[in-house]
Amino acid sequence: MTCERIEELLSAYLEGELADAEKAEVAAHLAACPECAGLVELMKETSGGMAGFPEAEPSPELMAGLYAIPAARRERRRWFQPVFDFLARPALQPVYAAFTVLFIALSFVLFHPEGRGIRKQLNIQFHKGIGTVEKLYAEAGTLKGEIGALSASVVKSFNNLDLLKGSEEKK
Amino acid sequence: MDLDAVIRECLEGSPSAWETLVNTFAKRIFNMAYQFSGSRQEAEDKTQEVFLKLYGALPRYDSGKNFTAWLLTLTKNHLIDEYRRTKWEKTQRDDFDERVLAQTAHDGPEQSLVEKETKALVWEGLNRLSADMRMVIILRDLQGKSYEEVAEILDLPLGTVKSRVNRARIQLAQVLKEYRGGTS
Repeated sequence: MTCERIEELLSAYLEGELADAEKAEVAAHLAACPECAGLVELMKETSGGMAGFPEAEPSPELMAGLYAIPAARRERRRWFQPVFDFLARPALQPVYAAFTVLFIALSFVLFHPEGRGIRKQLNIQFHKGIGTVEKLYAEAGTLKGEIGALSASVVKSFNNLDLLKGSEEKK
Repeated sequence: MDLDAVIRECLEGSPSAWETLVNTFAKRIFNMAYQFSGSRQEAEDKTQEVFLKLYGALPRYDSGKNFTAWLLTLTKNHLIDEYRRTKWEKTQRDDFDERVLAQTAHDGPEQSLVEKETKALVWEGLNRLSADMRMVIILRDLQGKSYEEVAEILDLPLGTVKSRVNRARIQLAQVLKEYRGGTS
């Protein structure tokens, strides 16, 4: 057996879990290999050091903290319960639904593999929309001017009509 | 003590049942956290966190299962998760102080200086093991669990546990050799 193979068996050897044949092989190797024999001695010493390893006592403060967990939880629940009750009102359900749809749409745009194309399309559509609004605004400005001119001409016509009426009355 | 009855009473909100549960397991969990982290302060924080988790998880406990193994699994998961999240292995372990750690039942005056030194070196050496190796050696050799119990707590096959324990012991022995070599 190689040293690597012996190493794999050392715990079982020390715990007496090996079959007789394997045990004899390991013992023979250990008798011939000072390196592995030294390792076994160290492992025995380590095991001895770990047996009956001293244990620490938890402090009274820690124990008090542990005892107090249920009361602390109940207290916290008492403070947060009104908030939870408010948030769980049925009236808020459409708001949560709207936010969920919004988040799904947003995550679709942000994380979809084709997201870049979608964002580009959205950008184009957005700018197109802005362009249309600007165009409409400009047209509205022109229309406003035309309406102004028309109204002025109508007022003028009415004035002329009044003048004509006046001259007819004089006659 | 009927643990199932204690847990049922805990779920019904009985403070004395919770105290019984704390008294039964606090020392074990605290020592597991202390042996794993090497820092008393860290161990106290982790014990508090584990019991907070336990309180929250108690309604989900399946009464057909082994409660101790379930709690130790919860502790192991918390300790390893926190270890990986915060990397507290960079911090030094507390000194192996017999006045703090000693239990008279095990450490009488007859205990040799060599044995005490070995214990101190094992304590230091635990910091040199990876989280998985450290946990396996704590459960098997320091907490004295059987291989089957360790396998149940770690949710690993028995063969894996045995091989991991063997490797951890070899690593610890090599650490011991290094320390000895450095001091001689």
